Amino acid sequence: MIQTGLIQNAHSDLVTDASYDFYGLRLATCSLDQRIKVWQLDEENGTWKVEDDWKAHDAAVSRVSWAHPEFGSIIASSSFDRTVKIWEHSPDAQPPTVNGNGSASQSQPSSSKWAERAVLLDARGTVRAVAFAPHHFGLKLATISTDNFLRVYECLEQPSLATWQLSEEIDVHTLPSTSSTSVHSRAHTVALATPTQTIAPEGASPSLVAQALLQQQGSAASRPGFGNREADGGWCISWCRDRYWGEILAAGCGISGIIKIIQLSPSRRPTTILVLDPSPSAPVADADKAFAVTCVSWAPSCGRSYHLIATGGRDGHVRIWKVKPAADDDGEQGDDAEMSGDEGRWTASVVGDFDEHQSTVGRVEWNVTGTVLSSAGNDGRVRLWKAALGGNIWRPAGSVGVEQAEETGTDGDKDVDMQS
Amino acid sequence: MGTQNINLLPPLVESGRFEELVQSGQTISATTSPFDNSLAIFLSPTNISGFKSDSDQEEPVYFASYDVVPSSERRLFIADTQVIFSMFHGMLESAKTREPSWLQSPEALELMRKFSVDYVNFIKECWIHASQPMPRADGPLQFSADHYRSLYSCFSLFVVLYLPEPGYEDAPVGEDLMEWLNIHFIEPSTEEGDHLSSLDKPWEDDDFWPYLKRVTLRGLTKASLFFFNTLLQHPSEDLRELAKTIIPVVESQPRLQNFSAERDFAFASRRWKDRVKAVRIEMDRVPEENRFDDFENWWDSLSDIVGILEGRNAVIQRVCEDLGADWKEVCAAWGIFSDSRLRRQDLVDVAAEVLETMPPDPTNLEDMIHSALFSGKPEQALRHASQFDTWLSAHFADIMEPLGLLEIDESAESELSRRDEYILSYAEYLHSDPTQWKTTVAYMYTCGDIGRERGDEVLVRVPLRLHPSETPSTPEEAIAQAVKEISEVCFNHQREAVRRTVCRVAAQTCVRHKDYGLAVSYCISAEDWVSLGRVIDSILDEYIKNGATAFAKQASKIAPSVQELQSRTVSEAIFVHRLVFAVRYSQIHRYKLEQDFTSAASDIVTLFREEIAPKSWWPVLLCDSVELLQYGPTLLFSTSDAAELLSKLEEISIRASQGSGDDYLSVLTRTIKGGGEKEALERLKVVRLALARYFARCTVGSDRHASPA
Repeated sequence: MIQTGLIQNAHSDLVTDASYDFYGLRLATCSLDQRIKVWQLDEENGTWKVEDDWKAHDAAVSRVSWAHPEFGSIIASSSFDRTVKIWEHSPDAQPPTVNGNGSASQSQPSSSKWAERAVLLDARGTVRAVAFAPHHFGLKLATISTDNFLRVYECLEQPSLATWQLSEEIDVHTLPSTSSTSVHSRAHTVALATPTQTIAPEGASPSLVAQALLQQQGSAASRPGFGNREADGGWCISWCRDRYWGEILAAGCGISGIIKIIQLSPSRRPTTILVLDPSPSAPVADADKAFAVTCVSWAPSCGRSYHLIATGGRDGHVRIWKVKPAADDDGEQGDDAEMSGDEGRWTASVVGDFDEHQSTVGRVEWNVTGTVLSSAGNDGRVRLWKAALGGNIWRPAGSVGVEQAEETGTDGDKDVDMQS
Repeated sequence: MGTQNINLLPPLVESGRFEELVQSGQTISATTSPFDNSLAIFLSPTNISGFKSDSDQEEPVYFASYDVVPSSERRLFIADTQVIFSMFHGMLESAKTREPSWLQSPEALELMRKFSVDYVNFIKECWIHASQPMPRADGPLQFSADHYRSLYSCFSLFVVLYLPEPGYEDAPVGEDLMEWLNIHFIEPSTEEGDHLSSLDKPWEDDDFWPYLKRVTLRGLTKASLFFFNTLLQHPSEDLRELAKTIIPVVESQPRLQNFSAERDFAFASRRWKDRVKAVRIEMDRVPEENRFDDFENWWDSLSDIVGILEGRNAVIQRVCEDLGADWKEVCAAWGIFSDSRLRRQDLVDVAAEVLETMPPDPTNLEDMIHSALFSGKPEQALRHASQFDTWLSAHFADIMEPLGLLEIDESAESELSRRDEYILSYAEYLHSDPTQWKTTVAYMYTCGDIGRERGDEVLVRVPLRLHPSETPSTPEEAIAQAVKEISEVCFNHQREAVRRTVCRVAAQTCVRHKDYGLAVSYCISAEDWVSLGRVIDSILDEYIKNGATAFAKQASKIAPSVQELQSRTVSEAIFVHRLVFAVRYSQIHRYKLEQDFTSAASDIVTLFREEIAPKSWWPVLLCDSVELLQYGPTLLFSTSDAAELLSKLEEISIRASQGSGDDYLSVLTRTIKGGGEKEALERLKVVRLALARYFARCTVGSDRHASPA
């Protein structure tokens, strides 16, 4: 690891998210200060200069996401003001919004070039994440908010970006699974530590009445720790970038401690095709012991026959899940009975489980080729993980922190075992 | 390469005190860059309250890379060795058209040896370059000369052991090994030799006997003969006599290269061994009391030398240990003296025996690579090499696979062969330098489906602009140049999907820069008809927003594309249709500007007659015709032409009255500031009036009618 750059005064408050554009030449950052800044890399000397800076929302901005460049220069931002906004960069654009009042202390860029194109107002809770779909599915985006709804929008008028249709609105907690409940019982027999364990999808959905009741109670009764629900929860989404399997995304919300793999289809209702549950055998009564998943990242599969999904959570664990698509005969699993049960279903197993952070993991993310995973935790370090030769063991591959280095250089000592 | 765990500057908290930041609601977060192997690291809230916090602290964003970016001489090294790599793969590609066994044929092996020797020679050049104390224009060396020396020793050992000249696979390896050792690990030093040779009585020097032993061991006959000759002056008569006997023996040691048949070499070696035995017998005759001179027991030292010549393993090993030589020297000497017919395949056993008692230095990766190569463990050599330099492991693996030294089966988990894993690991390191994208993908594209898809991810992200160091040009030229370069790579590796995506992005970028000509050609190149439609809409929008002149200028740029499209048999006729309309319509405005009203008038009618004009543009065309209808000098339309115009006008009016006005009037409405359908219809009344007048003129003065074009 080597430090390559620094933006000294990026924001006047904590940075809630940073996101590179498709090429990595621009970086969008957003902050508690309600502003979005777009930075541009000067390749000549490796420095970043601000291209634009504007007040984007009326509350903290939670996430920013870039659309694929074939749609233009577009970002979406989600916020605690319960909105999602679409911004476009265009050479002849007017200054963005009336409330774009640059703080006096900041040197205002010559001209504001990012313009607000649309505001999505459907969320009934703070919007925690926004992510554009892979470009082959068109100009679409997914959002997740603390009302536990996953919403998918599609842009109807592309050059103007003005009209976005809410094409799916999914209650993540109650979304039913495709598979029968018979698999459910089998999950109990699978030992937790078995590396090839199969996680059963959730059972059938509760009745509509139950659903309604649940909503009415704000899920307070059934879910413990309501007072801290937002503080203890986690809301995250990540698209499967592979075109072949159709529109699929991983979503986690609240304090359930699980990630649902949700398949969207133009002809059918969305369904949960798989649930990533680190403790599938735990009885339902133990739900209050579950730790929220705070982040999820779907690796680009890049020619592999399986998918890798990384999750991080309040239990301090970074997990790498190997997810196999349906109807893929696999001789690895010796048990014939089990195999026949897996046919036509997606299966998952944990191939990496790391607790080095020893505290809440706030972010996991893959590189563009899906070979390096980065995770950030409350231990103050960003850690990298790579597969060892052969691909079946994931190992630490370095870390970065912001603590004062100890003079003797012994700082690395506690991490010495990390050297691969 | 580089430290694994680092702390960023400036630090935000004292060592071990990050917990305090967490207590105050702060934590660390990061995002990975698609540009290179770097991360942006920033401080985030542990829990977002949703409201602007009171803190007014300036928050930094840090950047860190997980690979040390190649620079200076390393860049050159990477770029130049890729040339050899590509040629090697050209050969492997052509091998696919031959029988599978061809790769094991002498012809193929000869080629593989040639390419490997190219690598060796190139590394050697690099090492020499790096060793020279000179000012360096491209900054200080990133890797030391010693690093390249290590690469040199490892790669040439690999060639010696695994890529002998075809036909010599079964030849004795001893002399090749000793030659390798003498090139890469020079002992004894020239200075020692110079010093000793300057003395009148060199045997009085402490270094004399060790020196003589070492040159004997290394087969450096010239030096050993020189000093044996000095012994002819030694005070001891016994030693003088022995020297006389030994000199011709050392002189006549058979060398493989001097024999045309190995059988003759073996025969000569046996006879020579007999002569060494004779020396031993003569030595044993020297009485015990005569075996000393004033300084030491010369007899023991000479006995060691004769022991080496006799090929006594125990003596060779002991002498090596005394001299501080390592296992490599023992193995090489073994191949010269103990078993002069030692074969490559038997070297493994010898190495195992020697390494048993003289293990390699585990802290020295070069030594570990050497020992693995000696021991016939290519996979182990690769593991060590990858720790030393991913360049080495990648290029080793690349040659080891066709040589059949590696398992070619894919690992069940990574779904990659050993070779591909090492190559991809090197390619990933290369990605830390975005300017090396061509090299990066060249390596990735040799690694099956997974390599191809990873290469695609890199290739599709090559920025559509020139490298900053290149000559400045317009953004459009830069895009065109970049697209051309990327397309070339796509074509060479058959990555059509990437090419199309790149073209789509290029088209989008061009539209934003209002370079519609390029945009259209990129859309066509990507066969992206939906986007083509949007580009045409944007061009037509120019008319609505900026008027006829701006529109005519833009649309003229897309004219060449129309011809290209029409020459194809395209199923997407609808888009071609719109494109043709945009071009033809802009042509009308150009005619008007050039005052060629006859052509303008006839083209307007053609657009209607041939149903090229979309309905929404009919009113605009009609309004454009007013000026021409009122043209004084001549009548520009035939009566039937004018009737055509009138019939279109009628259709619009009728449809508008039936409530479908939007289909016809939307464009005209947009050209009227703040106008609606009513204003548009008002405007059309002007057309009706102009037509009425025109018909009147036709009746009055038909003789002045212009002849139809």
